[in-house]
Amino acid sequence: MNNTVWKLLAATAITLAFSANVPAQTRGGTLTAIIQPEPVILTSALNTAAPTGFFSANVFDGLVEYDNDFKLRPALAESWDVSKDSKTLTFHLRKGVKWHDGKPFTSADVKWTLENVWKKFHPRNQIIYGTVTSVDTPDDYTVIIRFSEPSLAVLSSLNSNGAQVLPKHLYEGTDILNNPYNNKPIGTGPFVFKEWSRGNYITLERNPNYWDKSKGVSKPYLDKIIFKVIPDAGSRAAALEKGEAQYAPFSPVPLKDAERLAKLPGLKLETRGYDWISPWLFLDVNVDRAYFKDVRVRQALAYAIDLNAFNKVVWYGFGKPAVSPVVSTLKQFHTDDVPKYGYDPKKAEALLDEAGLKRGADGTRLRINLDYLPYGDDYKRSGEYIKQALKRIGIEVNVRAQDTPTYTKRIYGDRDYDLSVVWFAGFADPLVGVTRAYWSDSIGKNIPWSNGSGYRSTEADKLIEQAQSSASQSERVALFKKLQQRVQTDLPSIPLLELHFFTVQSTNLKDAVSGVDQIYSSLKNAWFDNTAKVAQAAP
Amino acid sequence: MSELVSTLALSKAPASLIAAPTARGWFGRLLRSPSALVGGVLLLVVLAMALSSPWLFPGDPLDMVAEPFLHPGVDAAHLLGSDMLGRDLLSGIFHGARVSLLIAVVSTLLALLLGVSGGLLAGYYGGLADAVLMRVTEFFQTIPSFLFALAIVAVVQPTLLTIALAIGVTAWPSLARLVRAEVLKLRHSEMVQASAALGATDLRIMLRDILPNTLTPILVSTSLMVATAILTESSLAFLGLGDPNAVSWGNMVGSGREVIRTDWYITTIPGIAIVVTVLALNLLGDGLADVLDPRDRK
Amino acid sequence: MKLNNIVFRRLLQLVSVALGVAVINFFLLRLAPGDAAQVLAGEAGAATPEYMAALRAQFGLDQPLLVQFGKYLLNLAHFNLGFSFRHGMPVAQLIGERVPATLLLMGASILFAVLAGATLGAIAAYRVGKIADVVISTLALLFFATPLFWIGLMLVVVFSVWLDWLPVGGMFTIEAGYTGWAHIVDVARHLVLPAVTLGLFYMAVYTRLMRATMVEVRRQDFVRTAVAKGARPPRVLFAHVLRNALLPLVTMLGVQVSSIIGGAVLVETVFSWPGLGRLAFEALFQRDFNLLLGILLCSSIVVIVVNWVVDFVYTRLDPRIRFA
Repeated sequence: MNNTVWKLLAATAITLAFSANVPAQTRGGTLTAIIQPEPVILTSALNTAAPTGFFSANVFDGLVEYDNDFKLRPALAESWDVSKDSKTLTFHLRKGVKWHDGKPFTSADVKWTLENVWKKFHPRNQIIYGTVTSVDTPDDYTVIIRFSEPSLAVLSSLNSNGAQVLPKHLYEGTDILNNPYNNKPIGTGPFVFKEWSRGNYITLERNPNYWDKSKGVSKPYLDKIIFKVIPDAGSRAAALEKGEAQYAPFSPVPLKDAERLAKLPGLKLETRGYDWISPWLFLDVNVDRAYFKDVRVRQALAYAIDLNAFNKVVWYGFGKPAVSPVVSTLKQFHTDDVPKYGYDPKKAEALLDEAGLKRGADGTRLRINLDYLPYGDDYKRSGEYIKQALKRIGIEVNVRAQDTPTYTKRIYGDRDYDLSVVWFAGFADPLVGVTRAYWSDSIGKNIPWSNGSGYRSTEADKLIEQAQSSASQSERVALFKKLQQRVQTDLPSIPLLELHFFTVQSTNLKDAVSGVDQIYSSLKNAWFDNTAKVAQAAP
Repeated sequence: MSELVSTLALSKAPASLIAAPTARGWFGRLLRSPSALVGGVLLLVVLAMALSSPWLFPGDPLDMVAEPFLHPGVDAAHLLGSDMLGRDLLSGIFHGARVSLLIAVVSTLLALLLGVSGGLLAGYYGGLADAVLMRVTEFFQTIPSFLFALAIVAVVQPTLLTIALAIGVTAWPSLARLVRAEVLKLRHSEMVQASAALGATDLRIMLRDILPNTLTPILVSTSLMVATAILTESSLAFLGLGDPNAVSWGNMVGSGREVIRTDWYITTIPGIAIVVTVLALNLLGDGLADVLDPRDRK
Repeated sequence: MKLNNIVFRRLLQLVSVALGVAVINFFLLRLAPGDAAQVLAGEAGAATPEYMAALRAQFGLDQPLLVQFGKYLLNLAHFNLGFSFRHGMPVAQLIGERVPATLLLMGASILFAVLAGATLGAIAAYRVGKIADVVISTLALLFFATPLFWIGLMLVVVFSVWLDWLPVGGMFTIEAGYTGWAHIVDVARHLVLPAVTLGLFYMAVYTRLMRATMVEVRRQDFVRTAVAKGARPPRVLFAHVLRNALLPLVTMLGVQVSSIIGGAVLVETVFSWPGLGRLAFEALFQRDFNLLLGILLCSSIVVIVVNWVVDFVYTRLDPRIRFA
């Protein structure tokens, strides 16, 4: 018996010793993150720009959260069910959640936000909640949404970025767009808004009453997050190098610098956390131009660009040559079974000759303009690369620079352009992000980031509309695969790269990626591995 | 930055009323002034680069001909290396000389045209013309000229022409004030009165009698304006407002900015070209000012 | 009586400039394609035509041009700078928040430029032709010729990253939460590189100017007289030479204030300094007419006021000159 007792004691001792050595998340520390550009507004319910998305997820929870495999986890919604005919969506909300001002979070907030914000102002949600006929709240923790036609795409947009719930008691009856709480937000999230010094920084502090607990201790682990505004890319790199900032998402430094920073001992590059955005870079071709009407000409453009070299030289490998507007990381909807246009300049020239665009006396077949997304040097270089690639097959390209409002008006309003380099986010369901580039409904109406090429195809439109209101997910998958085949055959828009964004962060910041949408999700799981070091590092 | 035009003028004594110095006299002195000599030689080198570029470097400097990020001195075919898209830097420098100088010269010519005529008219006629000019130049001098040029280029979109126009339009007021001041001094001189008595037209008086005597500050200002234009163009390119279809030094500096930590030469080499050219122009301007200052002739 | 006249004319000047600025700004921005609603829609990630129409109505952009302009002028007359819809704040408040940072930057650079420039120029003038003169003059020429942003970037690389003596950017260290004296020191440390970058160019100008004028003045008869009368060098310097040499310097200052504001755009970009220059740049690209106009008006007022001060100082320095 003594032996057994000793064995038991030994076992216990070993277990205890072992668990003491397993590092537990350390609470404490201030994280300085870089936010660029400065957000316009601090809630993603009204604005889908990237900086707002990155910031606001820390203040607002979504109905669900994502893990690293596109699986949904409960957040403000503990569970949900879809009816058999896919026309009713029920959410069972978490109990005991409070807004940062102490008021309770209830189903009334969800109902109000859906009806007054998502349906009215949120660009993507207007489409997916468009067929909502009623929202019922039988009790404080149940929301029943009824659709006249199924809208399964809703399920892809339930995180803090797609389904940000605003506090009804602070917004009802006010001028929503000008409500002061847009800039001093009150949410239910892991961090509480403290201060916004314009042009300088935004500070958040831990929410002491946050609902998400781990091992009995409530998250988040960080005490404070400071979002610094640093307009210059070189300054951002320097700040990260010196440790003045420890977290910078969305490719904050020039791609070449990223390689250099990754080699430094205290920093690392993180490419996870962007899959939910499904971004793809593409070349919109204005199909209303006479010389672009022939599909052979558009195909020639595609054959003329060596996407592997493009990826390497212009994007330093932070991308993958694309074959379809639906990126390969969205495995459920992506298909490889589409017409492909590998690098074949001879074929390109042959196609152009066939289409009647022969080389003139000076070797030029065609003179056109190219406008690139004015968001940074990467897009400018993309434009310059394409200019050179097309020059080799006899097309003279004049690259045009302009600012963003000029650009959007030109491409989506006046349609006074030939080629346009731009990227869209495809999101987790092609209906939400991809179809807008091909749906004929939005042509020429000056709606930024919609159908720029002017593509009108009854078949494509039908596929899109069917996928929008289909009640079966498997049917929708098939429809989207057909759509990819259709648009890659017609090629009004040439997909170039699946973009790989990256985050630069300190190596001692742990658990900073909790899901495929980390870029638009909160930092509640993040913690510093060595709080003492952090305290010393603050200059 | 166009206010610099006044710098040199303020630092020198006012132009004398004596007729313009003889050609042979001051050119000879120019050659003996060390700053003018150095400046002149450097400028000639730059000009030679600009003019010889189509022969020495046929082909488009925007062509991607090499592997990206070749460091200078590594490859004999690309002495100054290549940039991030594999474009040859030496070719870029030579062709860029042409573009940068072109923008600078065009903008300066525009500024000269507007400034000299404005200053002449205002100084000579006085009254309403003068009042209008004064208000206009005052206005231009309160708005930061760089911001104004920025606004113009941003609004009409950057091409070589618009950039040159924007710089010229924001540079002329200082010159106009300068010319006006000079004209005011000469307005009532004996020479002008004599011409008037002889029945010369206003235009004749302005062009024959007054203008040649105002050449000193104008000449000096010209070299400064060209220098400033080059700096302004590079600053605009740095802020993303360069013409993407042309190779200018400013564009090169701007595009190399992102890789300044790893491949600093892409920004530095065109940067040095800018510094050398601006320096040359300043030295030339200094030399001219020295030489043309009648006080020094003893 | 005379003073009233002067004050009245000055105010008239201010008003006419303000009007000019308003007109140019209004019509310049209208020339630009796209408007504030376009910008917001672009940034929001998407929009419907109804949404954009609602925005335009809210901003008053759907009214005829002259009506909009008239409304704006009316507001100006009541000292109301309007509302920035993009920032969701009154323009006056936005500007007010950034004014201290801008004044600090400009003040520090001008101070640096004047002090360093005057000193170096004086040294060069007193050692004309010797090594010190050559070195100083060459340095001045070099700084004069180098693009501002390039110097800024190089300074960051050298002093901030390699040597780690100074911070990379921003105005102060938020994380540390300094107050009182520690805060002042912190801001000062952040101010060094931006102020030096902005000031180097003007320092070069003042060095050359100071040198040239001092050389000039020293040759003047009245100085030679003083020396002949046995006045000792320091007295000659301060009582006579400096006083006269400062005149062009002071005038130059007035002329260059607006140029410094332009240079501030570049410096604020490189150093993330939260000032008005960068804000104006952004306002331009956001078609934020109210904000841009507000900033331009403020900068114009600053320039005019500085010029008044300069004129005043001018008369003090040279009793022969009277207010024109």
